[in-house]
Amino acid sequence: MNVLTAHRGPTTVPHVTRRSATDLVTSALVIGAVVAVVVIGLSTPRFMTLDNAKAIITSASLVGIAALGLTLIMVGGSAVSLAISPTVAAVGMVFLSTQSLGLLPALAVALVAGALLTGLQGAIVGYAAANPVVLTIAASFAISGLATGISGGTSVSPDGTGYDLLNATPGGIPLCVYVLVALTALVEWVLRCTAFGRSLYLVGENRPAARAAGLLVGRTTTVAWLAAGALFAVTAAFTAAFNTSANVNLGGTLTFDAIAAVLAGGTAIAGGRGSAVRTLAGALLIAAVSDILLLRGYSTGVQVMVKGLIVLFVVVIVHLRTKERHA
Amino acid sequence: MSRPDLRRPETALPAVALAITLIGFALVPTYSDATLSSFDVQSALQILARLGPLALALGLTMIVGEFDLSVVGTYALGGMLTVQLGQEHVAYGVLAALLAGAAIGLLHGGLIGGLKLPSMPVTLATYIALLGLTSALSGGLTKSYTNAEVTLWVDRTVMTYFSPRSLITIGLFLMAAVLLGATRWGRELRAVGGDRRAARAAGVNVDRLLVGTFVASGMLSALGGALLSLSLGSANPDPGVQPLILAAAGALLGGMSLAGGRGGPIGLLAGISAVALLAQIATLTALPGYVTQLFYAGLLAIIVAVDAPDLHHTLTRIRTRIRTQDVRSRAVHES
Repeated sequence: MNVLTAHRGPTTVPHVTRRSATDLVTSALVIGAVVAVVVIGLSTPRFMTLDNAKAIITSASLVGIAALGLTLIMVGGSAVSLAISPTVAAVGMVFLSTQSLGLLPALAVALVAGALLTGLQGAIVGYAAANPVVLTIAASFAISGLATGISGGTSVSPDGTGYDLLNATPGGIPLCVYVLVALTALVEWVLRCTAFGRSLYLVGENRPAARAAGLLVGRTTTVAWLAAGALFAVTAAFTAAFNTSANVNLGGTLTFDAIAAVLAGGTAIAGGRGSAVRTLAGALLIAAVSDILLLRGYSTGVQVMVKGLIVLFVVVIVHLRTKERHA
Repeated sequence: MSRPDLRRPETALPAVALAITLIGFALVPTYSDATLSSFDVQSALQILARLGPLALALGLTMIVGEFDLSVVGTYALGGMLTVQLGQEHVAYGVLAALLAGAAIGLLHGGLIGGLKLPSMPVTLATYIALLGLTSALSGGLTKSYTNAEVTLWVDRTVMTYFSPRSLITIGLFLMAAVLLGATRWGRELRAVGGDRRAARAAGVNVDRLLVGTFVASGMLSALGGALLSLSLGSANPDPGVQPLILAAAGALLGGMSLAGGRGGPIGLLAGISAVALLAQIATLTALPGYVTQLFYAGLLAIIVAVDAPDLHHTLTRIRTRIRTQDVRSRAVHES
């Protein structure tokens, strides 16, 4: 039995009239929630300012790039990675410690490190169908252990200033925002227009059927995780450059933020559906909600709690609507 | 209860794991400078007391084929409530923790048993929300517990090796074993985990059983957090992932499977005891923190990979491919 997919018992076949009723209720709930966010936002002082809008898109962009990677993982049916924060921390440390090579080589090393760290987990999930949640919990522990062991538990400072280019703000907007937009377009194109993208949706929708149809399930999954790792590395480089030093805590609450962004975009955790554009919208929503809470003076704890509740809300709504379509 | 059969994985794995770690523990003086005393046995049992309730909470949900990721969130909240509401009298704090755990379990059970949601995303969301709630309750700070009498009592030495805390933990396992062994709940839980539709068709009230399992899981996690806070004399809003990793490793070593329908409380107790002994060995041999961290992560990763449903399939395919190549190259040589 799979803990990620819903069990369809005999009682789950809804009556025709009830079906439209559920649909109506879920739509009303979603519209109500969005209206509530907008109203609360508008009534929050300093929310509707240009500076605040910039702050929102900047914080959405770092989470958003990592969330794009997680989108690939989720669309392909491997649920989530709970190792995003430690991966970003470890890759950020690698990025800063290789600054003496120059910016581009350091970036390349970081991308390869991120892709390999995450791709290895993807290979185990793809070829052996290991439970991704438990596996990535183990991986998160292993990666932070390795990072602590190699760095001796200290912060890494860069020996070069090439990384500062990543903090550039062309046109008054941080570089990472442009990168987020470009990568969203790229991931959307890969998902929609390439053979890899189409097989990823099929593997995510129904793994046994995809295998029976002759798709290379293991390879497709591994490639998705490799790409996800490279995207985590992009977030890592920007985060490390912004902080100008990196330690094992660099990732912060990124794992939860990225999961919240992807799920808030309406991507189903069971796989087979979702898109980069949805994730972008989800990242903006989560960043806006965090911003409102911050402006209203709520603590980090409350912000994390609200993210969890948003995820719960979206998971329930998406589940109710999906059950509908299958019924 | 049927007689244990050592050939079955849910009996063999915990037995072997416990035997190996016991031998490793007894031989500590031969491969390190450390010597063994009754105090080390007591320390191992204290680690068991710390991890046991969490492993039992996780293990029960694994028997029914679900996975309660939120156990560490409930554990953190239970510890925080005990410290903040139990300053006046410890009973208020523990009661608040148990009630919160039961409420969280009811929510999970309702969503997973009633609305048929998959457990992983639901408990992931509540895990995030509970960590946030705990941090909000404490302002993100570690809160200390001032009633030193209680702190001393829970860790008091009893019968050389035990403490009230470890006795409570072992008692919980024995209670679960008796409940699941003597009533039909044990069989029904495994039936629900093995094949939910068949269990339903056979007349098992699946939804009520799922709600009950998650309520038990929530209360056990909260109690685990409460006991830990009382012992430490403080509550930490973010316990990190280590408790979850050790509890999951203990449950899997205890003969549980992520696929569900397998295992029982006694195997689970053996599995988590093996993990506790390993932790004590690591302390005795003074391994650096990151080495033990890597070791636990590797252990869990290996168990999960071995438990993975398609591993056998992939290995068979690789072996077939190698053999075919062998045969082909031999054929080429011979011709």
